[in-house]
Amino acid sequence: MKLVSESLSLDDYDEAVELFFERGWTDGLPVVLPTRRRVEAMIAHIGRDPQESLGPIPPKGGEATIEKLAINAVMGGCRPEHFPVVLAALGAMMDPAHNLNGVSQTTHMCVSLIIVNGPIARELGFNSRDGVFGNGFRSNAAVGRAARLALWNLGGAVPWDTDKATLSHPGEYAFCIAEEEEDNPWSPLHVDRGSAPGSDAVTVFACEGPHSVFCYGTPEEMLHVLTDSMCSLGNNNMHVMGQMLVTLNPLNAEEFAKRGWSKQDVRDYLWEHARRRLSDVRACGVVHEQFRKMERDAGRYPLRYDLDNPTTRLPVTPTPEDIHVVVAGGRSYFAAVLPGWGGFGGFAVTRPIIRPAR
Amino acid sequence: MEILVPVWPAGSSHRPTKQRLRDVHGARIALVDDNLDIPFTTHLELLLGERHGAKVERLVKPSGTAPSPRDLIDGAAKAEVAIVGIGL
Repeated sequence: MKLVSESLSLDDYDEAVELFFERGWTDGLPVVLPTRRRVEAMIAHIGRDPQESLGPIPPKGGEATIEKLAINAVMGGCRPEHFPVVLAALGAMMDPAHNLNGVSQTTHMCVSLIIVNGPIARELGFNSRDGVFGNGFRSNAAVGRAARLALWNLGGAVPWDTDKATLSHPGEYAFCIAEEEEDNPWSPLHVDRGSAPGSDAVTVFACEGPHSVFCYGTPEEMLHVLTDSMCSLGNNNMHVMGQMLVTLNPLNAEEFAKRGWSKQDVRDYLWEHARRRLSDVRACGVVHEQFRKMERDAGRYPLRYDLDNPTTRLPVTPTPEDIHVVVAGGRSYFAAVLPGWGGFGGFAVTRPIIRPAR
Repeated sequence: MEILVPVWPAGSSHRPTKQRLRDVHGARIALVDDNLDIPFTTHLELLLGERHGAKVERLVKPSGTAPSPRDLIDGAAKAEVAIVGIGL
């Protein structure tokens, strides 16, 4: 297989691992060494031209060739079967609608979350149940980290350099979940977003880490705490809208469905009730006000809200469809709200996972 | 063992810096911002024009959080100087 990357000949394992730190090629954790054999196996699995490129990865514009992405996927701990998921996730992140350039460089703490849907999630052992945002599952960890390493090594999204996140969050090491599709009364996320039932897809959405919501009881009780959690004055959505992710656990979803609530019913209710009065929002200060004005001038903030009336109740997103509802986690008391970056970008993009031809 | 390098070689696209203007008087200046602080940019435009005699062209980035469209970059590149300011 003809590869064009520079190579190093090293005999000592420890020396090789340390070299990746010295050269700034890793994110702060040791990597699986990208030997030629491992990289070639990754590329051979998908059967694509190593020099085919998904395009330049912002902000620094390194070409995302199959070869370079395979190297970074090996480093992240992927097996060849994971590589199609990594490619789909990076393709989604590089869609202009996601504004990866901004997501990678903003002072906000959003990170692109990868959500895996379809039969491939179960086949590869992605976790969609207890501890879904946590550790313990190779597929979640390796796919999530492979994507982050590609952004690091090819996009140059590096803290204290182009990555200007004030605080960031631990998802910058790996941020990948699967949706629970079996213990779920509703259609999965990727189908809601236009994919065929039974197909494989990833959705990326740039968001904060999960905010815990003590969510148990009747639909009305659950919605009461969810709406309150969504419209915190500290999140960007409350000031400049954008999109938001709500993760319900399978027991929550079952309870809604048993009482006749569809996912769209839930979304509509959340959008209608997760609101704050303009007077509350304005009390946050003039800077927040300026951002809102900028977004309004740019046509990204709906004009239908009267911003001169202090009793106007402002929603967290322009439409109910901008609230993404995913079912994942254990059957328990907790849901999660993940605010987005606001109207600036990081919007959800869904891409099919292309399995290699047999 | 043979290890493959995960990054591209450092760029060889270094371009020489344009010669600095000695005086902005009469110079065409592209002033690019994202409309977040219009009074500030307007004040800067007045200073450059009235006090220093520059010919200022205002260009507005549609978003402070995404790259400028190509035609805006090309427009700014036609000026002798471009000043880009975004954010607060």
